[in-house]
Amino acid sequence: MADTLVGDNPADWLLLYGPKKRYVDNYHWHSPQAGVVASYTPTEFDVQDHFDIFRGVDQIESFAQATVVSMGGFLECQKSGLSQQEMAELFVPAFISIGNVNFRYYLEKGQTFINIGFITFYKFRQMACEGRIYKVPQGLDLDAYFKDFTIERLKAYDLNEEFILIAELFEITGRGLKKEKFNTQA
Amino acid sequence: MERQEIIDGLIEVLKTVRTIDPEKLNNVTEETDFLTDLNTPSTELINIAAKVEQKFDVEFEDDDIDNLGSKVKDIVDLIIRAKEREA
Repeated sequence: MADTLVGDNPADWLLLYGPKKRYVDNYHWHSPQAGVVASYTPTEFDVQDHFDIFRGVDQIESFAQATVVSMGGFLECQKSGLSQQEMAELFVPAFISIGNVNFRYYLEKGQTFINIGFITFYKFRQMACEGRIYKVPQGLDLDAYFKDFTIERLKAYDLNEEFILIAELFEITGRGLKKEKFNTQA
Repeated sequence: MERQEIIDGLIEVLKTVRTIDPEKLNNVTEETDFLTDLNTPSTELINIAAKVEQKFDVEFEDDDIDNLGSKVKDIVDLIIRAKEREA
């Protein structure tokens, strides 16, 4: 298992999602106990039936997949020694609650954005994160840009002025529920 | 540690939880239900469990929390079990 999510295929950490509802394309920076930066570019399918705009609820979903699901899964695999596949067979990532979300701008098809999130609580397979979504300046090499990123810069949202703030998200909380419990409670 | 002593300590923890109405803590018994009597959001139960670990200097397993009921007696039982496990 690698030290961080960077370079991993999000599909390997989001096995129960997609392909149509997986909203992470790449991980660009990750500190396992602290936070993550991950990008996604909305497709034609993502904006269908919604006046060509990527939906706000899908932004929240993207943020949750990038942070709580990916980082939570990573830490659980690290702790338990299980593979992503084994983890996906045992647990379902469930939304537990959402705090405030403020939308500042919008995203169209083809406009790459980053989820930049940090962990505010993690225990008993439950993780809460907060962070922001930014539209990425066109043509920017995100891997190069975040190569030397730090936890301090993450928490300060220390980004180039050309990044456009799209949303602020608070207390995005999810938990890995045992599959048998998930099914019996359905 | 006596059960009432644990309940008293638990009430101290619950007083620090902003989503719980302090007035509802006046009549807490073993049968008090976090969800129906104290209107505690389910997300908060995990935070309470984490605070209880610190208060009582015990460590819970993930499975303990998966199987935890929603009544005060369930968390009292869990604290006692965790204490015995660590003894």
